[in-house]
Amino acid sequence: MQVYSIPKSIKKDSKFTFCKGCDHGVAIKLIAEIIDELNLKDDTIAVSSSGCSVLLYNFLDVDCLEAPHGRACAVATGIKRAHKARKDDKFVFTYQGDGDFASIGLGESMHSALRGENITAICINNTNYGMTGGQMGPTSTMGQYTTTSPLGRNKEYHGFPIKTAEQIALCDGTQFSARVALYDIKNILRAKKIIKKAFECQKNNKGFSFVEILSSCPTNWKLSPQDSHTKIKDELTKIYPLDIFKDTTND
Amino acid sequence: MSYIKIDKDKCKSCYLCMDVCPYKLIKKSNNIGTTGEYTVEFSDSEKKCIGCAQCAIVCPEIAIIEVNRE
Repeated sequence: MQVYSIPKSIKKDSKFTFCKGCDHGVAIKLIAEIIDELNLKDDTIAVSSSGCSVLLYNFLDVDCLEAPHGRACAVATGIKRAHKARKDDKFVFTYQGDGDFASIGLGESMHSALRGENITAICINNTNYGMTGGQMGPTSTMGQYTTTSPLGRNKEYHGFPIKTAEQIALCDGTQFSARVALYDIKNILRAKKIIKKAFECQKNNKGFSFVEILSSCPTNWKLSPQDSHTKIKDELTKIYPLDIFKDTTND
Repeated sequence: MSYIKIDKDKCKSCYLCMDVCPYKLIKKSNNIGTTGEYTVEFSDSEKKCIGCAQCAIVCPEIAIIEVNRE
């Protein structure tokens, strides 16, 4: 009996082009599995953004649009509303990095949440700008060494990191906001459950749903894939706790 | 008999699957992959594989393309 095979929503013969050990692959695999399970493949429009997350459309066999840097939630709003006006409702989700969602596009993202747009946003948080070479991002932790903070992030000069899932949970339009990690089997299965819940939130016309995924970046952290996962487990989950911060889907 | 299938062209030698296998049935092979390191291979001479699919869940490259459980 075959218990595992490649999800149908992954393009045939596609090969992930991420660095070795990067959790983007696991995240895309989970999304593909959930699209298969909810039978959404023909009705989905994905919006990717700038950064490593832009590569989504090379692997996922659904309609994808690439938004300008940071504007994925704004573009998703347009797609959702235009299709709703034509009475041809589509499932719209965005796939963004932390630099895209929480830095350059924070205005668009937060106002989508405040308006309660019926879209799902997924934010991959790897605490730096991965694609451009590991510069300091809005989520870089205190004391983290990056190419633009060679002496470590300090509060006098750089300020404090943003806790995206908590901030989005404060918006009244948000119906679901959670943070997950992908460092071991237990957390990968939990992440799948929570992303599925966020997708169902949109499917049932509840409102804005948001999932932040703590991901590893072995290349820019200059660690092995195993050590990166240990770092997430021991350090990052202390700063960014894994929890569901808002869930009104059952009300 | 349970077994897995590995696509060695997709493997990037991160070795995350080697750590999660409860019976350590996934080992380094002699084949050099795209990253210049040895790819993994499945060697189960004593038929210990239980088909738990943990290796497939953790693989970031979908290089473990099939898991069959008896």
